[in-house]
Amino acid sequence: MNDKKDQAGQPPKSEIPPSLKRYLWRIAIFMTAYMAILLGGLSLKNSANPPEGLFAYALAIATALPICGVFWTVFRLLVEMEDEYQRFLVAKQIMIATAVTLCAATLWQYLNVYDLMTEGPEWLGVIWLVMFGLAGGIVRWRP
Amino acid sequence: MKNRLKVLRAERDWSQADLAERLKVSRQSVNAIETGKYDPSLPLAFKIADLFDMAIEEIFKQD
Repeated sequence: MNDKKDQAGQPPKSEIPPSLKRYLWRIAIFMTAYMAILLGGLSLKNSANPPEGLFAYALAIATALPICGVFWTVFRLLVEMEDEYQRFLVAKQIMIATAVTLCAATLWQYLNVYDLMTEGPEWLGVIWLVMFGLAGGIVRWRP
Repeated sequence: MKNRLKVLRAERDWSQADLAERLKVSRQSVNAIETGKYDPSLPLAFKIADLFDMAIEEIFKQD
């Protein structure tokens, strides 16, 4: 059978699916915003007049918001993905990242209850993102 | 679930990429379905059946 004839009239298939392109753009935008706000905020914090009161609150929230945007981007990818198998893999990635993060938080909580660990994994968002990245390799290695 | 996708594809001399393009899915999806790592959704199963002009149960069988 002739492939070219069968595909006549179909648009040429893009290498990167549109949902993935949007994902990469959104990640780039949020991470650029995060770096800019973080660097600006830290230089203010380390200056002679560090921010106080409402401005400090606003700065803290402004630094966290782009990271929330990264989480939103990941969940949008799950909704927008055209390919159901790839969507299934991303869903598994999210489940693994969430399970590991919740286990880390629970473990820390009980170590804290027994006064064995006063400082724990405060950067739960970062743990989730790192696990999401690692789980990407795991689910594609063993789907 | 077992399926005859690999045989049907080979009969038409299609590569996994050819079939993926016809179904508008990724090549990895075709590979995962063929190797039994992933069972397609009902809409995709219908799409596969339509493409081969067969009934779903002629392509997919219970283990």
